[in-house]
Amino acid sequence: MAQANEARIENPSRDRILEQIRAGLRTAIPEPVAMDSSRIISEPVVFEPVIFEPVVFEPVVNPLERFQQECVANLMECTLTADSAASARQLSQILQSLPGGEIFVQDDPSLRQLIELAAPARAMRWSSQGAPAEASQATVTLAETLIAQTGSILVTASCGGRGASVIAPCHIVYATTAQLVPDLATALGRASRDGTLDRNSFACVISGSSRTADIEKILVQGAHGPRRLVVILQNGS
Amino acid sequence: MSTAAQRFLQDAAVKSADLMHRELIRHNLDSYDAAHLKGRTRIKDWEAARQKCQEIKREAINHLDRYLLQFEEKVVARGGHVFWAANSEEACTYVKNLATQRGVRTVVKSKSMVTEEIHLTPALEKTGTRVWETDLGEFIVQLRDEAPYHIVTPAMHLNRGQIAELFREKLDSTIESDDPTDLMAVARRKLREAFFAAEMGISGANFLVADAGAVAISTNEGNGRLCTSVPRIHVVVTGIEKIIPRLEDLAVLWPVLATSGTGQGITTYSTLIGGPRRAGEADGPEEFHVVLVDNGRSRLLADAEQREVLHCIRCGACLNICPVYRHVGGHAYGTTYQGPIGSVLTPHLNGITEFQHLSYASSLCGACTSVCPVKIDLHHHLLQNRRNATEAGATKSSERIMFRTWRYAMMHPRIYALGGWSVRKALRVVYGLGLAGSILDPMRVWNRYRSPVPLPTESFRALWKKDGRKNLGPS
Repeated sequence: MAQANEARIENPSRDRILEQIRAGLRTAIPEPVAMDSSRIISEPVVFEPVIFEPVVFEPVVNPLERFQQECVANLMECTLTADSAASARQLSQILQSLPGGEIFVQDDPSLRQLIELAAPARAMRWSSQGAPAEASQATVTLAETLIAQTGSILVTASCGGRGASVIAPCHIVYATTAQLVPDLATALGRASRDGTLDRNSFACVISGSSRTADIEKILVQGAHGPRRLVVILQNGS
Repeated sequence: MSTAAQRFLQDAAVKSADLMHRELIRHNLDSYDAAHLKGRTRIKDWEAARQKCQEIKREAINHLDRYLLQFEEKVVARGGHVFWAANSEEACTYVKNLATQRGVRTVVKSKSMVTEEIHLTPALEKTGTRVWETDLGEFIVQLRDEAPYHIVTPAMHLNRGQIAELFREKLDSTIESDDPTDLMAVARRKLREAFFAAEMGISGANFLVADAGAVAISTNEGNGRLCTSVPRIHVVVTGIEKIIPRLEDLAVLWPVLATSGTGQGITTYSTLIGGPRRAGEADGPEEFHVVLVDNGRSRLLADAEQREVLHCIRCGACLNICPVYRHVGGHAYGTTYQGPIGSVLTPHLNGITEFQHLSYASSLCGACTSVCPVKIDLHHHLLQNRRNATEAGATKSSERIMFRTWRYAMMHPRIYALGGWSVRKALRVVYGLGLAGSILDPMRVWNRYRSPVPLPTESFRALWKKDGRKNLGPS
């Protein structure tokens, strides 16, 4: 009750705005004509109209193939690996190609295992220790879902927090092919059913590395976020 | 003092004669056109996508109160704050007070047209707060102390040389290159300091998702991500019309917004934020505030003809295709929102008397309507605004007198004939003296830049009487 009172005090215009909205909405708006073509049919229509939802996007037939294609289009790197040993080798290679310095890793048993194999000697900071340092060279996280249609990864606050996917110049995602879904509708539908946003204060569909085209519409890769987005995509679950 | 209409005419004339400006806009918009067309091919049925987006926004706006309350309930339950601002002043005061109470000295902002609309940055700066625009384009126009030129590409009117010069002057005199990659790197270095020093991040919202209680923010650069991750307070400033019913609606809205905005399949970072950092999360702001700005929007709901203007998702497609925008550019409009949507919206937000001239900044070609991803009937709304302004008596008295005379003449055939005869005679004299286009020419507006239309020897009535049906009727 105290909170309700506080809300009223803080929001002197709230009720007035809502009242104005409701007053405005009482104005009747003519119902839209669903299909314009019906207007040009001169003969009376004798059959029952068949209502169907038009297909906006071409259905994704082969999610893995599509995901890989879209990764190329989004200027991100995607490497398919057979097992965790191969993934560790891949990660090790990527980390060696980067300048020395601290790496931020999502604190998850599977990533602890992977890092143990890939770079046991590297300076690490785990997400359980807080946010990534400003000078982190790379971040390694999991993803919730991979979206084939747009070549995207869906991360949430559970994937090492918010800064994990944007602060360092290189973001490495360790994922499996079992996490692939065909399209955005499936990914968002699942997030909605699972209450993903009730369990996480943040979620993001990331489709490539950070970029801008604000100067003469010329694409520049690596704006404020990572220049490199790498997906190590391991077969299976 | 000049009126907004006079300023518009002057600036438009200057800009449309500026060949360098036109070349730059042409280059930018040609790039956009190509990307946009290519982007559309990624969507199997573009018309169905538009239809779907229109339906989503129509449902949201027609139940605006219900969906806003649903959104608010979710955000408040997670410990966020929702403030309802009736106008610019209330919104600015809320953010200013918050900044003062929390001892905020530095603010980082990601792109938000609503904050431009309510003039939030100057309001904050007055209290001594340093405000950094962090979108590259916004950062550039902020350094130049200009308004955004375009709602999606704020610095489209500048070339790399001008931007390099600006950076040398304002940021680092040792910059040599004018390569966009290097210029971005300079801005990145500078703004990174701001991101990690700021106590408050301010963002806009592309959508407010009612059922998930989340704000959706689309950015490519990642600046929006940093603004909403690093500082300890996150404030979202957005219009009440940004609401959509369901999280799944983004499955079509995100791709359509990206396609219409830049030609991308989806924006690089399509972010959803539902509240402050939760217990156990590695990082994120401790405070989360959403400022819902009305500022004239709820009034528009009562306008049965124009309610759908609130469907706009601010993609900028109508600006990009508009032949007027392409010639006069964004600054000539002198408004926060430019182009067709700005011409429709501004009279509602800022007053029909002062901004009714924008209803005429259109050839009524309908290109804007044809590209609008939520199918707003933009060019007809411009016509309705013309009518509304006329009915509200917002027209010039000379124009009213002219139309009254015209109506009188139309109802009195002899007077009409006499009028036509005298105008023909008078113009013949004016043209004969070589005064066409001069200050003495009543047809000066047309003849100033064009050769006069040849005068007919006889009136239409005379021709009709003589051999009407044969020569003038339908063949």
